[in-house]
Amino acid sequence: MIAAWVVRKLRRRAARARMETQPRPAAQPGPVAAGAVITARSLIKRYGPVVAVDGVSFEVVAGEIFGILGPNGAGKTTTLDILEGLRDSEAGEARVLDVRMSTAARAVKARIGVQLQATALPMFTTVREAIDLFGAFYASRRPTDELLAEFDLGEKAAAYCTTLSGGQLQRLSLALALVNDPDLVFLDEPTTGLDPAARLSLWAVIEAVRGRGKTVVMTTHYMEEAERLCDRIAVMDQGRIVALDTPAALIARYAPGSSIDFEVARPIGESVFATIPGVDRAEVEGTRVRLSTTQPELVLTRVFDPSTFSAWAPAAGGGVGVAAGAAVHDLRVRTGTLEDVFVAITGRRLRE
Amino acid sequence: MTAFRAIARNVVRSSFRNRTALLFTIGLAVFFMVIFGVLFGGNGPSVRVGVVDQDRSALSRSFVQQLQRTKGLEIETGSRADEQDRLQHGKVAFLAVLERGFAAAGPDHPATITAYQSSTDTAETGAIAGEVVASTAVGFAVQHHLVGTPGIVIRPPQGVATNNVRAIDFLLPSMIAYLVLQSGINFVAIGLVDQRARKVLRRFLATPLRPAQILGANIVGGALTVFIQIVVLVAVGLVVFGARTHGSWAIAALAVLCGTATFVGIGFLLTSAVRTSEAARGLAALVAFPMMFLSGIFFPIDTAPKVFQDIVHALPLTYLSDALHSVLNDGAGLRTVGVDLVVLLAWAVGCFAIATARFRWE
Repeated sequence: MIAAWVVRKLRRRAARARMETQPRPAAQPGPVAAGAVITARSLIKRYGPVVAVDGVSFEVVAGEIFGILGPNGAGKTTTLDILEGLRDSEAGEARVLDVRMSTAARAVKARIGVQLQATALPMFTTVREAIDLFGAFYASRRPTDELLAEFDLGEKAAAYCTTLSGGQLQRLSLALALVNDPDLVFLDEPTTGLDPAARLSLWAVIEAVRGRGKTVVMTTHYMEEAERLCDRIAVMDQGRIVALDTPAALIARYAPGSSIDFEVARPIGESVFATIPGVDRAEVEGTRVRLSTTQPELVLTRVFDPSTFSAWAPAAGGGVGVAAGAAVHDLRVRTGTLEDVFVAITGRRLRE
Repeated sequence: MTAFRAIARNVVRSSFRNRTALLFTIGLAVFFMVIFGVLFGGNGPSVRVGVVDQDRSALSRSFVQQLQRTKGLEIETGSRADEQDRLQHGKVAFLAVLERGFAAAGPDHPATITAYQSSTDTAETGAIAGEVVASTAVGFAVQHHLVGTPGIVIRPPQGVATNNVRAIDFLLPSMIAYLVLQSGINFVAIGLVDQRARKVLRRFLATPLRPAQILGANIVGGALTVFIQIVVLVAVGLVVFGARTHGSWAIAALAVLCGTATFVGIGFLLTSAVRTSEAARGLAALVAFPMMFLSGIFFPIDTAPKVFQDIVHALPLTYLSDALHSVLNDGAGLRTVGVDLVVLLAWAVGCFAIATARFRWE
């Protein structure tokens, strides 16, 4: 599990390094300071007495998938609205693609792609017509057929948007967000309401978008999604960013513990497990064992090492011995998740 | 401009794919034309004759009663001005005015009836009616021992230029007005509210489009939808129902343009009052239907009570209906309908000003 994490992480970093060394297209307004595609400084937005965005600051670098994770009402969408030029920030400064949103939002809008939370498609309009329609809004655009192929919508090209399934709709709205071949794409809860299969396929699509060198900023309240897709995550709660880092770093910092659950052939005393190096806590209930640790690799080696238990066996006089270690079955390792991170920081769960 | 055209085109295209909306606009207009055309079609077996009794004596009244008993004549009485107006509009084919001194007829001065009849469309029926009235008068004179005196003299009929407006001819301008009203209000109000509720407008705002471009394109698209429907309706009216019109189509088109501006403006105004497209549909019906019945597009409102007429004259549809009937039925020129068009434009400007100020994007 951990190994897989590291491998994935490294692969991603390598991909990003590759992208960064590639020359940027001429449309890019010169080298963005330290690769910052977005710079948000102390953004504030109130709706009446409610402070939706309360002093939010962060930077997004070129080529990454930047996630904003938080429960409903945390201020994620409002933050995106400000960066997309749909709302003005009352205070602070939003710079997108090196342009201040307060001065030249339209210029920015021409170079970004936006997917809103709702489907947002006109009635009695086919998939092809919708792409053509949005394409007409930009000075330069990608060919409709290319987008239909890329987002696997060719078969549905002549169907009304209103007849599409949830996954197809989201793919279409992604295609619309990319019609102007933007450098930066905003996705607001792209997989909310999708079934697991559609969600998985959409994740692949979003990863492919990053693969094309785009920077992606997305909101989500699914921790699995944030963990799988995002290079860095801003955890938002009640209008503020409460933590910002890579998923691994967030977990390492706020939810470092792993638990190792397994079953043994016959009951063994808690103290046996508690003495295994690296185990912080051992709970035994009959033949079920749960070990809490921050070093799961170390503990696992010991659990599968027969000598761990043979050392104990003579003292118990029961002859469990070597067999005990081999009898470990039904083993599961659960590492910390972003959900745990959120709980650790806010004391509440993401979805309640 | 490409973006503007693309949105407007999409509005027109999707409007014509919306079968429910089409059914309630052009579908209903054609349906009304069929229904009312069948109900009030043709002039019936009897000839309508207008009688004006200026003498109001026992004798003159008795003559009118005699006429009323005459088969083949449908007598209506009224003031001279009214009946002359009705003759002019082809509502009666012949007009007989019983002049003063009818009862005091003596050797020196005969009882006089002044006759008017159409010199154009209904000339033939008018002439027949004249014969019938004349023979009735002869019989009446004998009966009342007016023989020996000059009796009843019927002054030779005076030809009056009239338009014989048949039901279908009256209906076509009515249905044009109806369609401008329904289509203008519905396609813009429901279309805009629906796009707002479905966050389409918001999605458009996230593109480099200017807000004015988005609204303008939607409104122009709505107006184009109205125009195309009017063209289809007029073609159906002329070709299928054989409606006859007078006057200039250019002036009629101008009236349609002003009316479209008004009702698209009202539709635009309604969008600030509702959230959902269902509510928009309800409100559009609430505004359109009473106006439709109060503005004399289905039946004349001249005979309605005073209070009622005041309401009628406050409604913009009255002016559109008036202008279209004047032009297409009576061949009126720009001078006659100028006031109507100005009132319509004033409504349009007012609605757009308020609607623009009050429009909410979400």
